[in-house]
Amino acid sequence: MVCERKQCASGDRTGTTALSRVTFTGQHCGYPEVGGVVTQQPPKSKTCKRSGCLHRIKYVQKNKEKDSGNMEGAPAKGVLSHLSLLEVKARSRKTQLQQHSRVMELKAKVEALKTQREQLKAQIQTHQDLQKLRLAMDKQCADEEEENMEEESENSKLLRLMARHTQLKDLLHAHHLIGGYDIIKTRKGKGACVSIATAYEDVFLDTFNLEIDLKPTVKISRHNIPPFIPLNNLAEQNNMQTDLRVFLDTLSKHLNAFAGRKQQLKLVKEKHKSVEVMESNVLCSLLVLLFTVPREKTAVLCTLDYTDHTRCLPTRVHLESEDKQLPDSPQWKKNCTLLMETPVHKALITMKKMGSIA
Amino acid sequence: MDNTVKRLLERLVRRIPSRMLKTTLDKWSRLTATQRQSIDYTESKWALTEKLLAICEENELTVKHIAELEMIHVIENPNLGMWHAFQLMDPQGDAHSVELTQFKEQFKSHLSELIRHVSIKIKKHTDEAVWIRIAWGDTFSRPNHLKPTYVVHYLQTPYVFLSSLTSKQKPLLSQALVLSTRYQAIKDANLSGRKLTAIRDLLMKQYLQVFPTKFPSPLAERNRVVSNLHIEKEQAGSAANRHQMACEAFGDGLLPQLQSAVYKLETKFRDHTNKTMTERDEPFRCVVKFASTNLLESLRHSASSGTQKVLKTVIRITIIVFCKEVSYVTITWYVTKSCRILTASLQVSTRGHQSPGRNSHIVMLLH
Repeated sequence: MVCERKQCASGDRTGTTALSRVTFTGQHCGYPEVGGVVTQQPPKSKTCKRSGCLHRIKYVQKNKEKDSGNMEGAPAKGVLSHLSLLEVKARSRKTQLQQHSRVMELKAKVEALKTQREQLKAQIQTHQDLQKLRLAMDKQCADEEEENMEEESENSKLLRLMARHTQLKDLLHAHHLIGGYDIIKTRKGKGACVSIATAYEDVFLDTFNLEIDLKPTVKISRHNIPPFIPLNNLAEQNNMQTDLRVFLDTLSKHLNAFAGRKQQLKLVKEKHKSVEVMESNVLCSLLVLLFTVPREKTAVLCTLDYTDHTRCLPTRVHLESEDKQLPDSPQWKKNCTLLMETPVHKALITMKKMGSIA
Repeated sequence: MDNTVKRLLERLVRRIPSRMLKTTLDKWSRLTATQRQSIDYTESKWALTEKLLAICEENELTVKHIAELEMIHVIENPNLGMWHAFQLMDPQGDAHSVELTQFKEQFKSHLSELIRHVSIKIKKHTDEAVWIRIAWGDTFSRPNHLKPTYVVHYLQTPYVFLSSLTSKQKPLLSQALVLSTRYQAIKDANLSGRKLTAIRDLLMKQYLQVFPTKFPSPLAERNRVVSNLHIEKEQAGSAANRHQMACEAFGDGLLPQLQSAVYKLETKFRDHTNKTMTERDEPFRCVVKFASTNLLESLRHSASSGTQKVLKTVIRITIIVFCKEVSYVTITWYVTKSCRILTASLQVSTRGHQSPGRNSHIVMLLH
């Protein structure tokens, strides 16, 4: 601490010795000052170093325990000096504490980091054990060996459970990747949301969602499945309460087949403008097309019935024409089987190539 | 020319706005090319009517043809008039394989059996909707083409949309519909509105719904245009949160524009100071009606703007309570944080007591 008085070059004149823990206060130039606690020997000179300054420096040796030195300085200058002494005392106490608490802080931090390190080490170990166990389990599944029913400790049971959990999670993820349905928990386990993706010919189409209440009974609370898919019927038939997976599988089949048929209709409209779509419906379970035979320009009406709503191919193909002989001709009989066995947009390409239709 | 034809044509020309008249007439295709070219669409409606009347006389068009024209106009503009949704119940085995020709024949024969003079026109629109126009007559009079009923149905779905149907005609139409669609009953779906597209989208699940998913699709960038860099909105964070919650419940896109929804409610009164109301054995039976210019949008807006009380000016809610002790009912509606539950505070005052009791809570889930 430097005296605040301008141009005074007197340095710090307070200090304590480590051994005696005595505080020196210096009074210089009549201005009381208080200094920090510094381990320092009291300076030897007794006059101010400043050239021309003739101030004498007075040191008051003060012992903290005895507090006797205090009295020497105090009556000399009165209340202010007393106050300054008290201030010094207070500050020294605080800084000591601060240092102390800082040390404690750092020590605590070290402890925390050590425990964290132990935790992480344990996690790594568990993870490694889990990997080993997973490999063993996967191998077991592949080889279809019988699981050994030996007595397992709590730890290994838990480990086995965790391994099974990760196995199931991976299975669900794989299921999602191949375009199957996704299921996640909602409302803290009281509900679930299923997302069914539909795809046809390697193209992802619409996704349908179902929110299901699991408690008290398994019930569908909301969904965005169109009304021509008989959702309630499927839920009842497949007994959604007991076997959710079967219900979801059937629903997925229905939705995928519907998406497939819808996509086929879209492609027919886009790619085959010469074929007129006379009738269709929202479920895409009925399609009536009008073909024109090249050269003769006769019209052929073709009805495709998709009565099995889980399939993308028709169950019945019916041909009608003004020329009564036409549907019985071998070429058109072939076309009939073609339409039964290949998706309609592809069948039309073949039929055009063969010259049956324009 | 027949008076009815004249009146029908006059009314039609008045209804169709001039800019759409040309396209509608072209679609109608009952006029020859020269006739179509001879019409000057910039003339006044009165002049146009006269011109069209002359052309129709020339072509000897009857009421049926004018009815066709009207149908074309209504199909193009389905959002006029008041539509009511109905639901068919209990499908029979072959309900899912009913096809158009079969439905047409069955419907026409059933309805003609029920009522002698009736004029039916059925048309299939490109979006697979079957439109039916019915002009009703009775045993003594010819069908009245000035007050037709329109029916819209999608085959293989259980929903039917009706407009302009009187209570006398309703049982006849219901029976014809039930028999021709191979269901067993029909009931009111309690959904009505001026916009057919909105109620249709709602029932056919063709609007954007938001579901919790594990692999959410990437969010579209919402470029916020900052009007003034020096102004920072204090509530920006919480406003964004509320908007997010509103979107989670209602979706981010266009909502079907519903004008009215009616719920039937059974509820019990809960107020310790009012013994007469709480000691009733039977629950209160109420009918709750929401009315607004755009119901779902107002609810979404109220959720995102954080107003707890849904403004009465935005949504008009009437509750009719079927109870003889109740004389005065006020309702305030609250949208909770999840935006899916509406709580109502129902203040009911009993006959003889002026001070309204405290609140009975009615909780309704919005689907």
